Amino acid sequence: MSVNEKFSAIRKGLLEFLVLQIIAAEKVYVADILRQLSATEFATQEGTLYPLLSRMRREGLLDYEWKESEAGPPRKYYELTAKGREQLRETLEYWGQINGTVKKLGQK
Amino acid sequence: MNKVITINLGGNAYQLEEGGYDALRAYLESAAAKLQGNPDRDEILSDIELAIAEKFRALLASNKNVVETKEVAAVLAEMGPIEVDAGETAGTGASKTGAAGSASGQKTTGEKTAESGGTPRRLYRIQEGAMIAGVCNGIATYVNIDPTLVRLAFVLLTLFWGTGLLVYVVMAVVVPEARSPEEKAAASGFPATAQEFIRRAREGYYEAMKGFPDRKARREWRRRFKREMRAHADHWRYNWHSYWTEHAPFHPGMGFALPFLSLLQGAATVVWICAIISLLATGAIFGLVLPANVPVWVAALLLLIAYGILVAPLKFARRSCYWGLGRARYAWSFVYLMDAIVWLTVVVVLLCLAFHFHPELQNAIHSIPSLAHQAADDIRTWWHGK
Repeated sequence: MSVNEKFSAIRKGLLEFLVLQIIAAEKVYVADILRQLSATEFATQEGTLYPLLSRMRREGLLDYEWKESEAGPPRKYYELTAKGREQLRETLEYWGQINGTVKKLGQK
Repeated sequence: MNKVITINLGGNAYQLEEGGYDALRAYLESAAAKLQGNPDRDEILSDIELAIAEKFRALLASNKNVVETKEVAAVLAEMGPIEVDAGETAGTGASKTGAAGSASGQKTTGEKTAESGGTPRRLYRIQEGAMIAGVCNGIATYVNIDPTLVRLAFVLLTLFWGTGLLVYVVMAVVVPEARSPEEKAAASGFPATAQEFIRRAREGYYEAMKGFPDRKARREWRRRFKREMRAHADHWRYNWHSYWTEHAPFHPGMGFALPFLSLLQGAATVVWICAIISLLATGAIFGLVLPANVPVWVAALLLLIAYGILVAPLKFARRSCYWGLGRARYAWSFVYLMDAIVWLTVVVVLLCLAFHFHPELQNAIHSIPSLAHQAADDIRTWWHGK
């Protein structure tokens, strides 16, 4: 089993965290999120992202508004709610702890 | 040369090659099955449709209107399979087995509709838009006419012989009610997916309405949506129609029967017109004097309805002849034209003769405006008296 495969479950779990981070920076729609992720190890597809986004919205982490696009159907632009920002802050903090643990353990 | 199918995605029409349409439908059906039990199922599906629509839009140009099968495949590959979100399992774990069961059920109906090109029709009672138990509504959907006509027929049957009420009660007990989406689809003969798409599109419409800040944007969106929904309805009507032309029973005798049926209907029309004329000219139908309390215009209206009911079976027989004969596609318009010519000729010739030999006809036609005034006056006095 390659490292890539071993980490697939972890990547999946981290996706929500990364999406929070992307949306925190600016109002985005799905294609923007996918483009930002595509250059990374977390490259993903609409089929995965839409169910994730709708659950996050249901949990009150983010909200969207409709905007007309100059061509084609209107788009949903996502933004974080106060709860989403709070969650992002907590996750970043926790991520910092984990990172520290990974570096520290086993070193004498 | 490939067949092209028009679809509605997110309020816009797209034309796909047939292979691409099948792939898209399979993708959306499997997505719907995977999201069974997800509280945001409808929303996710409409998001996905919008995303696909945007990708299609990017592929099209002014000199390219149709999305090819291989392009649809590429778009769907880019979308990726619907993955049930990891955070979702905790909440919906209990309903998982149920979801799997209904998902497989959905798949079999999907295969069935794919095979036959349409759901076989069955008579159901339909509660949506029903007045009492949905019997008339169900019949209207079954034969594809306006439910008001069926209701009128029942009322008339009740008025004259009391049988309408009896038939209604029996049917209300015997005919099952359409409950599941599959049953509802079977009531109209449209595949379940079509109704599903339309329902979801409507929901998406209202959701989108909420999001537009100014009136102008809302109006534009409403206008566009209506146009697309109309295109969608036309498309399904066309599918249903071509399904019938392919499956209608064919008998060579139909070719001979059709002109006779048309003659018969033409004759019925003439009799009806004569009855109306005699009513207008003499105040009695062929010497049959009206009761004193029935105004002439009510009698004319009743005649119109009676004519409609009498001619309905004739019309239906003629239509099945069309369907039988129209199977060879080129023959379709020819049959239609010939029939219309026969029908019109009979009516016109008889009317000309009548006009020539009976001066009452001219009087009757002259009396129509005053009759309309009388009807309006009657209705007004009735309204104010209420």
